[in-house]
Amino acid sequence: MEGAASSSCAIEERHIDSVCVVSVAGVVDMLTAPELEKAISEAAKSSPSAVVVDMSDVEFLASAGMGVLIAAQDELAPAVGFAVVADGPATSRPLKLVGVTDVVDLYATLDEALGALTS
Amino acid sequence: MEDFGQRDSRTRFAPTNVPADAACAAQMRQDFSAWLKRYFALDPTKVSDVVLAVNEALANAAEFAYSSASQPGAMNLLAAYDSYTSVLSVTVTDEGAWRIADSERKRASRGRGIPLMRALADRATIDSTAEGTRVRLEWNHVTAAQNAVN
Repeated sequence: MEGAASSSCAIEERHIDSVCVVSVAGVVDMLTAPELEKAISEAAKSSPSAVVVDMSDVEFLASAGMGVLIAAQDELAPAVGFAVVADGPATSRPLKLVGVTDVVDLYATLDEALGALTS
Repeated sequence: MEDFGQRDSRTRFAPTNVPADAACAAQMRQDFSAWLKRYFALDPTKVSDVVLAVNEALANAAEFAYSSASQPGAMNLLAAYDSYTSVLSVTVTDEGAWRIADSERKRASRGRGIPLMRALADRATIDSTAEGTRVRLEWNHVTAAQNAVN
């Protein structure tokens, strides 16, 4: 069985002023969550004021990926801001259902997240 | 793709004896998702809920069932639809021993698989015995697609 074809994610990093935006697309499950974890660690190395994980193009998010977000919040805060952008049945809905949004700031759009972090 | 004893129909999807590892869990999730979308008329939220809950059951089998074994054992999925009661049930079984207490309590960032299953399914039961673990997830008011044939 080939799992790679059915489970892959693409990650890009860019800087908007002092904020580092990590954009993720595709699937974030137990196979690909380590890639996201690594990307967030890399993003933090440039000493940004905040790291934003943009999951707008994530089509599937499993608990393994949610764990990465919680761990990132634990590691970065309070020195570095942290926020997640997601809006949809496969992402923001389960994040809210299991209470990840109680500890991680969630925004529906990247503009909203950037506005909140730079204000 | 190798045939793991799959019998696909509009009321049943049952891949059996699949290696309990992360890659196979991902593939099984994909195959189950295709079956669900093909044979049922569900809104996108329901599709997401069902696929994520099933993924968490498979992921737990892949991650915990054989964590003390040198090679992954097998996991099985049985999705069955009862058109009279409109109930979709999905059962994931393995023959290993989940080591959730050991592994999930180490970090607060982990351990959302079971709460997710409970939140996403109408009923979720987890039976762990010395012979293995059986997760049963059920959804009510599931409507078959009108144009589904098979």
